[in-house]
Amino acid sequence: MINLGILRSSVGWLVLALAISIVLPLVVGVFWVHVLTEILIMGLFATSFNLLFGYMGQLSFGQAAYYGVGAYTTALMITKASIPLPLCMVASVLMAGLWALIFGYFCVRLTGIYFAILTMAFGQLVFYIIFQWYSFTGGDNGIQGIPAPLLLQDAYAYYYFTLALVIAALIVMRFITNSPFGYTMRAIRDNSDRTRFIGINIRRYMLINFVIAGMFAGLAGSLWAPFNRSIAPDLANWAHSGIPVFMAVIGGPLGFFGPLVGSVVYTFLSAFVTGFTEYWPIVIGIIIIFIVLFLPGGILGTFQQKTMPVGTNYPEKKETS
Amino acid sequence: MTESQLFSQFLSGVSRGMILFFISSGLTLIFGVMNILNFAHASFWLVGAYFTWTFWKIFYSPTFGLWLSIPLAALTMAGIGWIIEVLLIRRVYNRTLSEQLLLTYALVLIIGDVIKLTWGVEDRIVARPPMVDGFVNLFGAPFPTYYIFVITLGGFVAWGLWWLLHKTKFGRTVRASVFSREMVGALGIPVHRIYTGVFALSLFTAGLAGGVQAPISSITLGMDMSIIVECFAVVVIGGFGSLTGALVGSLIVGLVYAFAILVIPKMALVLIFVVTAIVLIVRPWGLFGTPMRA
Amino acid sequence: MKRIKGSKMGGIEMIILLAIVFLFPFPVQAAEPYHLGVALGFTGTGALYSRDGKNAIEMAVEEINKEGGFLGKHPIKLFMRDDQTKPDIGVREAKDLILREKVKCVLSAYSSAVGLAVEDVCYEYKVLHIPAISNTEAMTVDNYSPYTYQVVPNTYMQAMGQVIGISKYAKQKGWKTFVSIGSDYEWGHSTVNYFVDNMKKTYPEFKLTKQYWPRLGETEFSSYITAIMGDKPDFVYAALASKDNVAWMKQAKPYGFFEKFPYACLISVTEMLEMMDELPRGVIGETRAPFFAHMDIPMMANFVKNYRAKYNQYPSDWAVMEYDAVYVLKQGIEKAKSIDVEKVKNALKGMTVNTTRGKLYFRKIDNMLNCQSYIGIIADDPKYPFPIYKDLLIVTGEESWRPESEIPAVREKSGLAKKRKPEELKF
Repeated sequence: MINLGILRSSVGWLVLALAISIVLPLVVGVFWVHVLTEILIMGLFATSFNLLFGYMGQLSFGQAAYYGVGAYTTALMITKASIPLPLCMVASVLMAGLWALIFGYFCVRLTGIYFAILTMAFGQLVFYIIFQWYSFTGGDNGIQGIPAPLLLQDAYAYYYFTLALVIAALIVMRFITNSPFGYTMRAIRDNSDRTRFIGINIRRYMLINFVIAGMFAGLAGSLWAPFNRSIAPDLANWAHSGIPVFMAVIGGPLGFFGPLVGSVVYTFLSAFVTGFTEYWPIVIGIIIIFIVLFLPGGILGTFQQKTMPVGTNYPEKKETS
Repeated sequence: MTESQLFSQFLSGVSRGMILFFISSGLTLIFGVMNILNFAHASFWLVGAYFTWTFWKIFYSPTFGLWLSIPLAALTMAGIGWIIEVLLIRRVYNRTLSEQLLLTYALVLIIGDVIKLTWGVEDRIVARPPMVDGFVNLFGAPFPTYYIFVITLGGFVAWGLWWLLHKTKFGRTVRASVFSREMVGALGIPVHRIYTGVFALSLFTAGLAGGVQAPISSITLGMDMSIIVECFAVVVIGGFGSLTGALVGSLIVGLVYAFAILVIPKMALVLIFVVTAIVLIVRPWGLFGTPMRA
Repeated sequence: MKRIKGSKMGGIEMIILLAIVFLFPFPVQAAEPYHLGVALGFTGTGALYSRDGKNAIEMAVEEINKEGGFLGKHPIKLFMRDDQTKPDIGVREAKDLILREKVKCVLSAYSSAVGLAVEDVCYEYKVLHIPAISNTEAMTVDNYSPYTYQVVPNTYMQAMGQVIGISKYAKQKGWKTFVSIGSDYEWGHSTVNYFVDNMKKTYPEFKLTKQYWPRLGETEFSSYITAIMGDKPDFVYAALASKDNVAWMKQAKPYGFFEKFPYACLISVTEMLEMMDELPRGVIGETRAPFFAHMDIPMMANFVKNYRAKYNQYPSDWAVMEYDAVYVLKQGIEKAKSIDVEKVKNALKGMTVNTTRGKLYFRKIDNMLNCQSYIGIIADDPKYPFPIYKDLLIVTGEESWRPESEIPAVREKSGLAKKRKPEELKF
């Protein structure tokens, strides 16, 4: 029998992933370095989304609003006032957190489908405001010519910078999900009534989680703006909010690294497939249906199930409400 | 603004609302009975519009072509709905909300490309039959005859659905299964066939809506993405699962929009979103929905 | 040793062989192909225009490759990418074309937002860029790049063209008030603003009384139609996105709108072909490159003939302009006698080129071609199965573009100096 023990060693996988992420850019062409940077940024965005989805059990269809706020804050600060990038990033995180606080205050009063639609409505609100405020945001033309700082203009430099920042953010998020706070989230997901009975203020905890998720989404957005050199309002609309959802589902929302795996698959596929067909939506649509119907735990979830020895208490997916 | 101008504006709001009702009625029906929010509903509407165009082209008769194409398109959509329910939707009844949403969202993407592959990228134009082209003067305000047709048909559809749900055995079984699926199953009634029927019915209305829409504007790719958001607003305001709510919600959205563009032109759509958000915060189950549907 | 005949080359055979090799230029090794990138929105609202552009580009490339490619020795290799009408996808696809496929020039885009984003990518990686469908003025003025050459009349030129054409009618018929309706996005706003501002200067008695801004992608215009009919203006000016305009015209017609109110908007050949009988006759249209206006020019006549033979339809404005884009590139390469990007870029500066629309030149300060805008009244024509313009007024580039003196102020406002090198901004 194959000893599956080594496959279960998460540390082993992490070390391997780290090694690959450091070495890979040096062997592939510079175009793929751009793709890898995109994978990292979107992976961060998807992981922040998963704080709400996998860990708290609520589907938000409006996380792109905070991502967009982060991207626009950084872009505007750099292009209009030439403020150095680190300061812009801090500002982006705070702005995104602020809006997550304002919108989240209302969203956490709801659950299930109502939560999903309200987050979507707020997301569209942000999108329309950015779209219509031409004098400030450039409207649907977006903002062009966002320069990266001099040291990071090279694609490789920006990649390693992003890698370092994303790893740091992931460590912080991992810390949060494995803390008592994180376990409270899981309790809210699994049985919110019981959690309320033991005296936890559900709404306050959900709001805190919502703000944290928004802040990390804002961080991802602020990394995106100087990387892409230009941004446009549809970074904030509901279709863009769907991307971290896809990534989390493809990779597996119950694992911490699920969304990141999902980002690798989704981003790579979309870069690759659009190279030879314009029918990318049908490809990703079929993949999603396949995963929903046949691989409900996502790639990571299915993999973990197959490599768990018999009798391991694998967390069951609970009905969310 | 004179009285007749206000009345004109009112009428345009009503017709806008009616078109939304056509689509939202099916959406709310699916949610009410099967508890699934069908993201792809507007996409099916668009397919219905394209089918209407195809049939209209085949019949080649400017006077009668449309009257034949619309019911044909609606029936085609009902058939497609039957197939999709059996193959796909049925599998996610017992799944989580997010899986259901993702499945229907994936359908949106797939249908968009299928439309592109089948009907190409050109806009499609369907001409109104001479019978309903032109306008009448109501209280001094001109009003296109076609919209009178739309409003009348909308009224029929609303009445027809009500009759179906309250006066037929099928309808009573549907309402019973909303209340208690287990009980209906225990009585020996095949619940899954009910669901298939409901899904096919709601796609019938979507196809009908598409057919009615076809002569109003051109039929183009991407129309579904913009209107689905308004439909969600309608269903939220009116209440999930309530047909009365869909009717009232559609009229509210249509009228708010019609008058908002006179007063706060750039903010009309934002206003709809704000109203939607307020309803969700204050009374999530909408005007006519029931709280237990949460 | 006995010399076997023919097995060893004597001196005289050697000389003859060398002479042949040097006097007859065999392609001893294949010359470098020219990689040409195309990033258009094949998915999204601009899919139709993008497809037309693609057809025209492929036809142009085929024609040029029949003669061996650029300079007769660099066959063109086309790389097409779908920017999905989204700026960040556009950026990624442009990077793909430049970094992976090593293209020397990118032809883009339907959406102005995508075009602007791609302009910056091409500037950063020093690759030529010819946007032949999108026409925001920002591409050449606010966000000017020395690598971008524009062959479409920009939003300012188009609006100015309408001012010139419409003020003529307005003065003739004594119009006093007008109402504007524009799609609520940047193109709609800037077009209406340019029109209103310049009309004020040309015919100040003509007053704007009301403005309407339906959202982009609106399909239900009845509320706007009734509102405008209530306003009873002498004239209605529209800057609606093409698809929305089609829906608007279709819905306004049964109200008798076009009989009651003179109306002007953009009507491109695409709408003429699509709408046919539904297009209201008598409206004042404007477009960017209608083929029927230049059938006397051999290049246009040949293009139309070949395009119809190959694709079984008349070429739209977008096809004409993308075709011109490829041939402009060709002429730049011929003047530079090289396919090197920098040399071609310098050759194109201020260059006069032959296009299907005539002999035109690029203005140095913004790399804008002095292409015309076309205004006329929609009417039927016996030559074509669809309505075209009658009373055609052709407004030249010089009459309609922003005066050079105003450009530095606009660039100051957009902060262009921060994004470009100072020597690139000296003209």
